[in-house]
Amino acid sequence: MLTILAKILKVLNSEDSPWQIGWAVGLGLLAGLLPFGLLTVLILLVVCLFTVNLSTFLLVWGVSGGLMLIFGDALEAFTWQQAQDPALLQLLAAEPLQLLHLHHTLVLGAFVVGMILLIPVAWLTTVLVKQYRGTVMEKIKKWKVVQALKASKLVQIYEKLN
Amino acid sequence: MIRKSGLLVFIALLATVFVLVYVFLGFAIRLSMVYTLEKAVGAEVNIKGVSVSLAPLAVRIDDLQITDKHQPTHNSVSFTKANAELELWPALLGYYVVKDLSLDGLAFGSARKRPGKVYRSESTDTAEPIDLESVLKLDLPDANELMARVNLQSTQLGKELQDKIAAQRQAVENLKARLPKKETLEDIQRQIKELTESKVEDAADLARKTQQLKELQDRLKQERDNVGQVQQELAQMREDLRLSVGRLRAASADDWQRIQQLANLSEGGLAPLSQILLGDFWGSKIAQLESLYRLVKPYIPEQIGSGTETVEEPEPTLPNRILPLPNQPYPDFWIKNARVHWLIGGGDAVVQFQNITTQHSIINTETRFHLSVAELPRLVALEVNGDFAILEEMVTNLSWRLDGLALEPVALGSGDTALSLTQGMLMSAGELNLHNNQLTQQAQVLLRQPKFAPSNNRYMQQLVEVLDRQDQIPLQIAAHGLLSKPDISVRSSLDRVIGEAILGEARTKIADLEKQLRGQLDNKLSEQLGAHPEWLTALTQQESELEGVQQNIQEMLSAKLSDATSSAKDRLKDSLLKRAQ
Repeated sequence: MLTILAKILKVLNSEDSPWQIGWAVGLGLLAGLLPFGLLTVLILLVVCLFTVNLSTFLLVWGVSGGLMLIFGDALEAFTWQQAQDPALLQLLAAEPLQLLHLHHTLVLGAFVVGMILLIPVAWLTTVLVKQYRGTVMEKIKKWKVVQALKASKLVQIYEKLN
Repeated sequence: MIRKSGLLVFIALLATVFVLVYVFLGFAIRLSMVYTLEKAVGAEVNIKGVSVSLAPLAVRIDDLQITDKHQPTHNSVSFTKANAELELWPALLGYYVVKDLSLDGLAFGSARKRPGKVYRSESTDTAEPIDLESVLKLDLPDANELMARVNLQSTQLGKELQDKIAAQRQAVENLKARLPKKETLEDIQRQIKELTESKVEDAADLARKTQQLKELQDRLKQERDNVGQVQQELAQMREDLRLSVGRLRAASADDWQRIQQLANLSEGGLAPLSQILLGDFWGSKIAQLESLYRLVKPYIPEQIGSGTETVEEPEPTLPNRILPLPNQPYPDFWIKNARVHWLIGGGDAVVQFQNITTQHSIINTETRFHLSVAELPRLVALEVNGDFAILEEMVTNLSWRLDGLALEPVALGSGDTALSLTQGMLMSAGELNLHNNQLTQQAQVLLRQPKFAPSNNRYMQQLVEVLDRQDQIPLQIAAHGLLSKPDISVRSSLDRVIGEAILGEARTKIADLEKQLRGQLDNKLSEQLGAHPEWLTALTQQESELEGVQQNIQEMLSAKLSDATSSAKDRLKDSLLKRAQ
């Protein structure tokens, strides 16, 4: 747990731009929601090709994958109910979309939710990182608690990771 | 911003995953299969190895053995090698299209090297052996039982007749209210008499009395019409009753025919011995096909009602996580060609399948299968051909030809009534057709040179003596109806011979049974007709009474009225003559 927290702090304080972190969170969420398949491989390709923060991506992927264990069934049932429109079914019958397994309820539901959340989450994360770096980080550094913590085990791990 | 080394990292990552999958996929499939099969069958499952090849994309399974949980020293199913070659593009789309499947060394009931573990040992075998002892103790069928089995039509018609009589009784009571009362008629008669016998004083008196007479006449006409209508309705009732009684008598005659057929009395004896011996056995064997129907039933589309029926929208369910696409390019699973080498009876049989799937409408053809076995130690030849398709309904056609099957000794029954078939050669040919769970089947079975072992039972000894004298025993077996409970008919020309030979003393009993059945049916008919003659008489009596009433009214209308007029005329004439003088 401490390691994860340290990793988050490391990323937040790193040289990576807020957008790199924002996209990493957005794409990690999308990859985590989707069952492993061709779409996941394509997301991995995007993550590898662009300078998206890999640590953040992997972390969010794992966390959102865990969330799907809880919400997967409900999302699948909801998708089944909503995806009975003949025009949509006709569209999904196209073989390229079947290749992406979008005719599977869980893949379709996760893909739609992931795509809807991708940009807002990326943007929100970017804003939050900027806020953190611009104001919060400087103020926090001045807190006595933080100064005390610097001597703690958490900081030692953080230093070790550096 | 592009990460320059990103593509290399991606390729390396992908290659690593690919290699890991390739190396461990076979092992993973093996573990998964063992776990799933053991869970399903409740006994130890062994698989020597599973390997996956990429070009062509194929899975190979070596040496699979599934322990028979009822006999752990043997396998229920085993095979030495199975190879399935998948088509890549459908596989990428998520469909299991197997181009070629081969299964070698398939065997049922083969011995294991060491006994397998059994995890669940509950008995699910519900097939019951033939209990010849109880069959032979049946003696003759009971008359009441036969009557109950025939589903008598006359019972329903008899009830309808009784209901009709009750309704007619009620209707007649209502009709009586519409008839003129005796007092009314007597009153009218008295008034007419007074009018006709009274003296006419003058022209005015004549006119008044004529008017009164006319009013009485109108009342009488009204009553006469009422009586006429009631008479017509009674005649209609009588006709209805006559027709219903006719129908009941016809139904009773038909029932008798069916009872005779069921008890086989028309053939002169307890002929269907083969039916008694083999009917239930054959039925239970056919009913085992029910499992096939249960297997494919979920795939049979619901019947869509025609006309104005409204089709209820089904509740959405998650059948297999795949949305119901309008144009599915491939069935969910489709084995294009399969070839099975089946180790059977000391030789091997080859079974070939084409187009195994449950979604025949997508591939627009049926599943075909062909089994061919020849020159086995105990079998000369067996050919089975069939096809199977699930479209609007499940349709299965099957034909077979079995030649020269040497039978193993079979013990039938136990104790005094034990009968053993020690040797015999079986030949059979037939056809079977299934529409959903509706069965139609015809088979000819010929048992050649049968030898039976006698027991101490006198009847069994007689039976064995007769059977052993037969060079061949022919059987015609037909079945139709519900697959789970087919109506089986087993007939043999030998039945009569056996009946004549060993059931001679049963002839008296058969005659008694026939008499008893006829008597019971006659009693039932007379019971159902019970109220009918009395009611018919009552109706006829009513009608004749009304005839009398109508005649009486007619007399009143014609005779009395003319007397009154002529009498008035005479008096007027006399009065005018007196005035003239």
